[in-house]
Amino acid sequence: MFKKALLALPVAMAVGVAGTAAQAEWQDPNDVLQKLLEAQPDSKYLHQSEMNIMMMPDNPALYLLDDGEELFYKERGPNNASLESCDFGKGEGVLEGAYVELPRYFEDTGKVMDFEMRLVHCMKEIQGFTSDDSAVSQRHGSGSDIMRLTTYIAHQSSGYAWNPPLDHPKEQAMRDAGEVLFFRRGGAMDFNCAACHGDSGKQIRASVLPEMRNSQEWTKAVSWPAHRAGQDNVRSQNHRIRGCIWQMRHAGILPDTPVNTALISYWNDAARGEPAILPDLKR
Amino acid sequence: MFNRRILTAAVVVSASAALAGCDQFFQDTSDREVDITQMSPEELAEYLVLETNSFRLDQDVQEGGTARERMQQDEIQALCSLEGSPNSETAGQVVAAARASYERPDGGVQLGDWRRGAELARSGYGYRVGHNNDDHGTREPGANCYACHQMDPAETTYGTIGPSLANYGRERGTDESVLNYVHEVVSNPHQYFPCTYMPRFGRNFLTEEQISHVMAYLLDPESPVNQ
Repeated sequence: MFKKALLALPVAMAVGVAGTAAQAEWQDPNDVLQKLLEAQPDSKYLHQSEMNIMMMPDNPALYLLDDGEELFYKERGPNNASLESCDFGKGEGVLEGAYVELPRYFEDTGKVMDFEMRLVHCMKEIQGFTSDDSAVSQRHGSGSDIMRLTTYIAHQSSGYAWNPPLDHPKEQAMRDAGEVLFFRRGGAMDFNCAACHGDSGKQIRASVLPEMRNSQEWTKAVSWPAHRAGQDNVRSQNHRIRGCIWQMRHAGILPDTPVNTALISYWNDAARGEPAILPDLKR
Repeated sequence: MFNRRILTAAVVVSASAALAGCDQFFQDTSDREVDITQMSPEELAEYLVLETNSFRLDQDVQEGGTARERMQQDEIQALCSLEGSPNSETAGQVVAAARASYERPDGGVQLGDWRRGAELARSGYGYRVGHNNDDHGTREPGANCYACHQMDPAETTYGTIGPSLANYGRERGTDESVLNYVHEVVSNPHQYFPCTYMPRFGRNFLTEEQISHVMAYLLDPESPVNQ
């Protein structure tokens, strides 16, 4: 995997300072970040941690890539099968650019699925794992199979522009419901997502928050998996949702559920056209 | 607001067990298949929150009742589910609803102990449920003021979602009209700031005693907020 990163480096450098316009080419996550920082010199959110920016070439999330690659190609589970026949939307086993084009509608299940939901679906259907197997029940932490696979698969889309499809009516419906959910106030403190992500440069305590309507802040905001320095673990989009909803004093959210899918459909659409940083490093 | 009748009309009875073996996300408890493209975005959002097992809605919550009740919007939450500021009509409805539900404490508004208020202002504990549950039996819930406001000018870590409250009491004093106003704002800020992001701390969140301590931290001349 690191070989691939090296090969891609000259390509990313050739693109140079052409801005952060939509890319259909793999780019090193640090190159994507550096271009965003140049394009948004006044963004408090993007520039909040000099330490993390400096650490980005040595992002601890990169250490999950080899393990994730091995897990992807290894014949595992009761069916002794690899994940090479898993279709993430661009064909069986096609990973390049797949992560940034999720969530999407899948014919074989008849519904819109986000990345983690699709990965778990493949691990169950192809490899034969059940919900009780730790391979799929452990969703969080750098030591989990799910986070290693997520980091490896997402990395194949680094630098590609977010481009979740909206052609199918169910894709549009889930994206639109996600927008309603983003602004839906509830819970013990009346919060919605926009309470923290509706304005630029606002802070909760010491943490500078990304603004959802600024797509160059928002692409970093939704660029999970990311190593969270404060938690010393690689985290997913779904983990971010669970944490926000917990802090908002709503009800506890469950994995593999359509509220996750709708919110991620809206998140990724709000970052549309901006290149993804995969994996990212966050505070 | 969510209209149950419209949703029911959008529900399509599944004729076969074609989805057997698939995950059952879009089948409600009566096993009907739902066509999400026939719902408005608002209807679908309500359906997703309340009917798809996306949340642990049966869980008990600290204020009493279940998480389902917590996720069902009340009037102010529904009116304020919008981007940006409310229009004048919505703002008027929100203010009216907030005033109608406000109660001044028996015996009038009192200031408590600013030292206890300082602890409450810094604490972000309380009312969280799901993968981890805050246990109010071992630790009281906080008011979490510093998440959004500057208060004590010497405190360097504070949020900026709300305005700075440094020296709030020094500029205003502690006469009855100030006490009444600040209590109204802490208890239900929508009376003055319709659709503010500040929580209604008098709505099953802080006790009147806790509110009196937070108010003392804000207004007492001895409090570090006013030094």
